[in-house]
Amino acid sequence: MTGRVRDLALHLLDRQVVDTDGAAVGNVDDVELHVPEDGSPPYVIALLTGPQALGPRLGGRLGSWLVFWSHALSRHSGADPGRIGMELLTDLGAQVTVARSRVELGVHENEDRARTYFVERIPGARDARR
Amino acid sequence: MRGADLLGLPVVGPGGEDLGRVLDVRLVQDGPILGAFAALRIEGLVVGRRALAARLGYDRYDAQGPWLVAAGVARLTRGTRYLPWADLQLTDGEVRSQVADLGPVPKIA
Repeated sequence: MTGRVRDLALHLLDRQVVDTDGAAVGNVDDVELHVPEDGSPPYVIALLTGPQALGPRLGGRLGSWLVFWSHALSRHSGADPGRIGMELLTDLGAQVTVARSRVELGVHENEDRARTYFVERIPGARDARR
Repeated sequence: MRGADLLGLPVVGPGGEDLGRVLDVRLVQDGPILGAFAALRIEGLVVGRRALAARLGYDRYDAQGPWLVAAGVARLTRGTRYLPWADLQLTDGEVRSQVADLGPVPKIA
């Protein structure tokens, strides 16, 4: 059986990830591969999102800067990127749809904290359309 | 292992000759079932020297319009080749092909 063919950079990286309500979750910044021990080809087991996935992909000073600040601002000591398991996907097309909300996924901790503690405290912010 | 770890890796032939860099990773959706879909399994690597032209994707599909753009990009990507996963070895910081002459990139239907 031959399945649908996609190229990683052309069809998957940088695609927008949305939840089932159409709300933006993030972008596909990288993918996690599982390498089977039997020597068969690796396959994608998760989409990675956020600066800790994008930084290493960009490389150079900009990539290091992204990873450093994301790590420094994080409440958790781990430097792992946001991870969305492939089993959560409901559609894989021009955009990627997942069966969880952004909050449930918890993949953008720093952005969510900035929204809660800074943006939403700006006068008039609560009146803005979400 | 991450997908982007493969992108940009230098590719060398059996005798150590330079074949270019990894421009893209060809995935086929026929791996183990993960949730609602079969997993995206790596089938091979797109190898070449012009990463920016390859990002447009003209080398992955049959010629499309506008013809002037298609012709120009086809010329820029004429050296792009395909390396099946079964014919390569991953070593420290490079991909070693077990064949010297790589075939053309299979077109996506």
